[in-house]
Amino acid sequence: MAPAITADGLSKTFKVKVRDPGLKGALQALLKPRYRDVHAVRDVTFAIEPGEIVGFLGPNGAGKTTTLKMLAGLLYPTSGRVAVAGFAPWGGGPAFKRRIALVLGNRQQLVWDLPPEETFQLNRAIYDIAEPDYRERLAELVALLELGDLLDKPVRQLSLGERMKCELAAALLHRPPILFLDEPTLGLDVTAQEAIRRFLTQYRDRHGATVLLTSHYMQDVTALASRVLIINRGRLLYDGALAALVARIARTKRIELVLADGVTAEALAAFGAVKEFRFPNAVLEVPREDAAATSARLLAALPVADLSIEDPPIEDVIRVAFARGVEENE
Amino acid sequence: MIRRYVALIRNAWLVDLQYRASIVLWLLWGVTEPAVALGIWWGIAGDGQVAGYARADFARYFFALMLVNQLTIAWDSWYLDGWIREGELNFRLARPLHPAHEAVAENIAYKARTAGMILVVWLVVSLVWPAVRLPVAPGRWALTAAAVLLAAAMRFFISFTTGLLAFWTTRATAIMELHAGVSLFLSGRLAPLALLPPAVAGVAALSWFPYMLAFPVELLTGAAQGPAVVQGFAGQLVWLGVWIAAYHVTWTRGLRRYGAVGG
Repeated sequence: MAPAITADGLSKTFKVKVRDPGLKGALQALLKPRYRDVHAVRDVTFAIEPGEIVGFLGPNGAGKTTTLKMLAGLLYPTSGRVAVAGFAPWGGGPAFKRRIALVLGNRQQLVWDLPPEETFQLNRAIYDIAEPDYRERLAELVALLELGDLLDKPVRQLSLGERMKCELAAALLHRPPILFLDEPTLGLDVTAQEAIRRFLTQYRDRHGATVLLTSHYMQDVTALASRVLIINRGRLLYDGALAALVARIARTKRIELVLADGVTAEALAAFGAVKEFRFPNAVLEVPREDAAATSARLLAALPVADLSIEDPPIEDVIRVAFARGVEENE
Repeated sequence: MIRRYVALIRNAWLVDLQYRASIVLWLLWGVTEPAVALGIWWGIAGDGQVAGYARADFARYFFALMLVNQLTIAWDSWYLDGWIREGELNFRLARPLHPAHEAVAENIAYKARTAGMILVVWLVVSLVWPAVRLPVAPGRWALTAAAVLLAAAMRFFISFTTGLLAFWTTRATAIMELHAGVSLFLSGRLAPLALLPPAVAGVAALSWFPYMLAFPVELLTGAAQGPAVVQGFAGQLVWLGVWIAAYHVTWTRGLRRYGAVGG
């Protein structure tokens, strides 16, 4: 089966006006404007198979949203090729737009003064959805997203989480096979975040949709995505499974201990770096390759009630990947 | 497409119903300017005439202006400026419907609403004030309807195209304000064009401004007759063509430039 999304050598360069501070700078910018090139995305290549949920990670300004907008056909690439659902997004026309959904976390399509159902009805007309299909899909979305009592409340009276759920429903009524989600859980509380994650998995499982999502919340990525793309300063640093990234980046493992009587931090220090010590709990950090052997020595030498070997927190791994890149850690 | 327009207009009206007080304010705004202009010319005309206009002629002119202005006015540059600067164009570009259709639907919605109310006001006033009554002349009304449609289309493209300048500048609405300022004099909003000094009238004749308002108004009041009618329609068609072309160039180039700010 052909990939749902391919990007081949995708680049986007913006021309940005350079302005010195002060009145003189303003006059100069007016009379003799200077520009500099900002390489938002550089030579990015990847392919996403139908039905995959892929997390797109990177610090602010890394190029995630720019890439997403090129894939959705909002931005014209400076160079490279893109194919989404078999279309070149820019100029793909209505046939292409019916096959995608673009949800930008901070820009909403719900009509602020009206209940969400009015926006749904508008989208039914815009996407030419037949009445029976609309009823069936709305019922499914209402059930999965638990929208029941929200449909007739004006959007301005809904909480942020409720609005995002309705936003997703509005974006999915035409049942697109490809979803581009930019920060869908931004600013939501934990319960709402979980509801959105649960919904996205269910939607993918039911309809085989391909999902590319950006998020700052690692829980989104660990819960949803089997695969991650990491981008920084416009370059793709990593494309693969999250677990493989951890193995590649993390040079250490954490040994989490529950100790019995009589063990001090000093005694533990002989086995590795003591990261936390709050008796009876302790966390040791040891070189990755020594984790098994060190655990065996700990069990033999100290009164250990419980022991587990963990990878470092995924946030730490990603932070290292952003800061130092991926390749140099191999 | 009709179903989409019905849905868009329906939503626009539903939003209107949330802001009933603002509808009244907009109506007052639409009535005040021509009423003030009428008051001034009423005083100046006295019992005589100014450039062929007696008091009753001024009254008919400004009532017709009130209606035609509401039927042709376009606010799109303000909407578009917001959509572009605040990133709200993004989801509109991702939908299988050109954003201009939403703008046209909005136009139809508020024009129908406000012009409908002004028509009622006019009918009520004409019952007690014969000066503002129009002769029953279906042919002229049909021509006026065509001229109003062309003027509305032209003002839409002017406003939409100017709004698209937000792709390049943050001052798109200032440009539209400037256009509105000039149109106050050259389109016949403050005075019938026959009252303009010859030099100013010459400039106006070379521009699109008279075709936005003065021509359909004079068609309705009967001031435009014979060759002036043909020339008026020709002018409207030419300038509409020019503004449609300007819109196409601005839209195509603007989209290429779109930095998709925000979002």
